[in-house]
Amino acid sequence: MHIPDNYLSPSTCAALGAAVAPVWALSVKKVKKEITKAKMPLLGIGASFSFLMMMFNVPLPGGTTGHAVGGTLLAILLGPFSACISVSVALLIQALFFGDGGILSFGANCFNMAFVLPFVGYFVYKFIKDRVRTEKGEFIGIAVGSYIGINAAALCAAIEFGIQPLLFKDAAGHALYSPYPLSVSIPAMLIPHLLVAGVVEAVFTVAIFAFIKKVSPGTIYEGAKEKSKAIYGLLAALILMTPLGLLATGTAWGEWGADEIQEVVSNGQALGFIPQGMQNGFSFEAMMPDYSVGGIPEIAGYILSAVAGVALLLILFKIISSLKKANHSVHE
Amino acid sequence: MPEWLLKDENYQPLPDRDTFIDKSILSLLRILSRIRAQSGYTGGKHSVHAVYKVACTFLLIVLLSVSRNIWFLAAVGAYLLAALSLMSADRIIRVIKAGLIISFFSFLILLPAFLMGNRYSPVMIPLKTLATVTAVGILSHTTGWHAVTGALKSFFIPDIFIFVLDITIKYIVMLGELSLDLFYSLKLRSVGKNVEKYSSLSGIAGTMFLKSKEMAEDMYSAMECRGFTGSYRVRRRFRFTPADFLYIVVHILLITIFVYLG
Amino acid sequence: MIELNDVSYSYEGIPALKRVSLRIEKGESVALMGVNGSGKSTLLKLLNGIIFPDTGEYLFGGESITQKKMQDAVFSKHFHQRVGFVFQNSDTQLFCSDVYDEIAFGPRQMGMEETEVEKRVEDCLALLSIQNFRHRQPYHLSGGEKKKVAIACVLALNPEVLVFDEPLNGLDPRTRRWFVSFLIQLHKAGKTLISSTHDLEMVQEIATRAVLFDEKHTVAADKPAQELLEDIDLLKKVNLIDEFYHKHPGAGHQHFHIHPF
Repeated sequence: MHIPDNYLSPSTCAALGAAVAPVWALSVKKVKKEITKAKMPLLGIGASFSFLMMMFNVPLPGGTTGHAVGGTLLAILLGPFSACISVSVALLIQALFFGDGGILSFGANCFNMAFVLPFVGYFVYKFIKDRVRTEKGEFIGIAVGSYIGINAAALCAAIEFGIQPLLFKDAAGHALYSPYPLSVSIPAMLIPHLLVAGVVEAVFTVAIFAFIKKVSPGTIYEGAKEKSKAIYGLLAALILMTPLGLLATGTAWGEWGADEIQEVVSNGQALGFIPQGMQNGFSFEAMMPDYSVGGIPEIAGYILSAVAGVALLLILFKIISSLKKANHSVHE
Repeated sequence: MPEWLLKDENYQPLPDRDTFIDKSILSLLRILSRIRAQSGYTGGKHSVHAVYKVACTFLLIVLLSVSRNIWFLAAVGAYLLAALSLMSADRIIRVIKAGLIISFFSFLILLPAFLMGNRYSPVMIPLKTLATVTAVGILSHTTGWHAVTGALKSFFIPDIFIFVLDITIKYIVMLGELSLDLFYSLKLRSVGKNVEKYSSLSGIAGTMFLKSKEMAEDMYSAMECRGFTGSYRVRRRFRFTPADFLYIVVHILLITIFVYLG
Repeated sequence: MIELNDVSYSYEGIPALKRVSLRIEKGESVALMGVNGSGKSTLLKLLNGIIFPDTGEYLFGGESITQKKMQDAVFSKHFHQRVGFVFQNSDTQLFCSDVYDEIAFGPRQMGMEETEVEKRVEDCLALLSIQNFRHRQPYHLSGGEKKKVAIACVLALNPEVLVFDEPLNGLDPRTRRWFVSFLIQLHKAGKTLISSTHDLEMVQEIATRAVLFDEKHTVAADKPAQELLEDIDLLKKVNLIDEFYHKHPGAGHQHFHIHPF
């Protein structure tokens, strides 16, 4: 999921960098408050743990291996704010010294993997854990949280890729950066994450958490109750602000014609390697039929679909937790 | 002594698909040897100050990203080849290898777009990627870790952040060695079929986490004993050398080409 | 059993072993001696098939151990069952969440029935007198206890050769004594023992043969342990001891030590 340089326009990189900057500032503030200023070594050591976690090869069925990111795990173990800083530092070292992920796209990678992943993962975990107050609930929370966390990050990366051909093209209409539209980038990123990487992340996260809980339960981060509310607000704000940031970079958002989008989309279909059903299942166009033809500004369409996505998730959790409660009361 | 210990084991193992152990060992070894080599990089007599290197590399990456002109790419390519040619052979190989692998990968990703008729980005992106990765590779293969973090200081990055970076790299080595040994031990004891691979792997990661927490606490105590109060100052010395001058002139030239080509 | 012919190994250009030749027969107890950085640990890694010689060859039971051969999973697993390695740092050897599972890890992999696994684990626990730790978490044990668990989980594989890297490091005097007698017991039981150590006292008690490495990463001497220990000049020459080191002649028990001035 490490985005290299030159796939995203510099302005996209700048916008995403600007979006994570307040998260970093807030994280540093929170961490200082939580672990006292002099305990800063913990952050560095957390970062090295995060870096090494990404080096571990996780066995997959059939004898192959994959990688876990471990963002949700770190958020659960150290708290989401420490996780944000730790993962950011790990990503910086990867970009600077190992050529993993770009320099300009560092902000974008941090946005996806150091912000969206741990915060969404932690928030989902907390949400489920606070509603299903059993050990099982905790583990379900971790599994679901890490699964959704990594997929949310992949979705963000896919959107970042997918908006490139809409925003940045030369006079002849050729994409300047990543050429694939959302209808291609979203399934291309999400299918492997939904099917494989997400499962790996969830299983690995649960297994490590179980080990640490058994061996040293005292070392796990205890978040305050009201924290989930703050994270909730932060998430909402960022969903709204990201497209605004992109807009503010002075690109051609307002100039999109419906036919232009149509063209990109039909190009996408012309690729021929996406099964029709998947495309309908995942593409934005299918989710928001009025997105391009009804005359709603695209930016509004984007925000709307983001809101719809979050709402969909919330509904899902509510259903899950209510089912759990019902189960529980039957047993009682 | 129990009886079974007195005679040789008559045991014929079954195969198991546990390549994840070897692969993890390999990636840890790669990281460790890279960092060890890195800490050995001390600039020679004619080396350019890290501040200029970091700043110019960043500038170059921005220009590459913005530029739509293949001739500018060619100019940068020429410069990078020249810079590479000043390095030792094994480093040149490492830098070029990394660049080629990543740009080949990005070419594969963009191949469908090329076949679709997009003649711009499937050509430009792999070339730009090659140039960018090479530029970063040259920076990281000629500059010690501490020189880079020290240079970041000159760009108004807070001391505390640099401090965290420095600790991180140090502990990547320490924790990396620890987990490497854990993987070796897992490998040596994996004499048959492991039905709980995930639990072995999570045991290693979990042990590493607990150890890292312990190390952080120890380090904090040690620093406190030495009078650390939470602020950290990075010292730097500045000296403008002919090498620095040449380096900057080359980059001004590249900017001129960029502007000229539009 | 073990044969090294002219083996050299270097870490990224820095030599660690230079033209080492060595034969170890079944049932021997060999001590590897030498100052820090003389190549002992590298040799142990090589004997365990973690690394492979740059030049020269390593034969185990007549079969040459190469990287290529070890890529065959069945071959390498069989080899690892026959050679057990007790790491210097026990922390790096324990990754299960309780002592019982830690010891059962090997036997379970070998496809034994759970009743047989249990017998092995219980035997190992008894042998190292750590029955009380059965359900403790290895992570929280003390250094000496961890070492015992690490040895138990290697023993549970019933290897023919046991390799110890600095087995006495960081142990208190009582635990050291216990270990020395335990190693003697293992040797008597017919196991082949290879231990690297700085501890001359231990060499005298547990090893029948001692191999001395010098600072140039070559073998400086290879003779019966007692004989090597008496060659004070040689030990001085390889910087293993200084001029304060000497031996007290006396009746009965003899030992080497340093006077605190």
